[in-house]
Amino acid sequence: MELARIEKLLDKYFEGETTISEEKELKVYFTGETVPSHLEKYKDLFGYFSNQSEVVATRETTLPKQTTMVRYLYPFIGVAASIAVVIGIFMSIPDPDTTQVADTYEDPEIALQKTKEVLSLVAQYMNEGKKDLVYLNEFENTTNKLIK
Amino acid sequence: MKERAFIALTNGFKDKLFRLAKRLLVSQEEAEDATQEVLLKLWKNKGKMAEYKNVEAFAMTMTKNYCYDKLKAKENNNLKIVHSNYKDERPSLQKQVEAKDSVDWVGKILDTLPEQQRMIIQLRDIEEYDNTEIAEMLGINESAVRAAISRGRKKIREELIKKHNYGVG
Repeated sequence: MELARIEKLLDKYFEGETTISEEKELKVYFTGETVPSHLEKYKDLFGYFSNQSEVVATRETTLPKQTTMVRYLYPFIGVAASIAVVIGIFMSIPDPDTTQVADTYEDPEIALQKTKEVLSLVAQYMNEGKKDLVYLNEFENTTNKLIK
Repeated sequence: MKERAFIALTNGFKDKLFRLAKRLLVSQEEAEDATQEVLLKLWKNKGKMAEYKNVEAFAMTMTKNYCYDKLKAKENNNLKIVHSNYKDERPSLQKQVEAKDSVDWVGKILDTLPEQQRMIIQLRDIEEYDNTEIAEMLGINESAVRAAISRGRKKIREELIKKHNYGVG
């Protein structure tokens, strides 16, 4: 039964009409132990096919590496970034000495005088600037008219 | 595509490329060169990889073309094919696999077949591709593939029977 089937498969095989799975069946059959003597010669054939699918190259294939600049600098990108962060932190801390007020006048009276002068000067400019703000009242009036 | 992904992808069929190249070029070294060359070309064009329907089939076609070019160049230059692996001194895997003399005989018969038949037998009986895939790889139609399979197998059978009857090794 089995043998008849195998012989039939063999005929089909040599006509190129077997399917892949039938060919696998043949391979299994002929690599097994019990092969009748008149089919012995096909043992080599299918044995060879089974063996050959295990042949591999002895040398490893290699791929070219990335462009050199990027490759060499890549590990240092992290280092450079952390240095930049540390420098940034130190720069942003204000220097405590510069915030202290230095004494420039010996006599407090003169200091008061000078301060008053400066403040009135500021007030004067403020008032001058404020004059122009009258125009804004115009806006106010118009918007009130419209909203009403 | 990342290098690792590429390697993972090509590892699936790299050995098949090598075996096809070896079947055609016979020499182990040249087959290794061919594999390297094909993978390198694939790697360089990795941007286009997504366009290929079937990377494996594409790589097989590349290998076939590469080997044909090599064989043609050899013919033109009238060079004698130099194999270092006729006599294998190294106790390599190849030796273990091809240890049995009578099994090796099949390989010798196979090497006498015309290139196309040899390649088709390789793809069908060893790599177990179906005829449609083989037709696609070789750029021929399926009936031509089937005819070549049948012719190749019958030729091998003929030689095997001859050997069996006369007992020549």
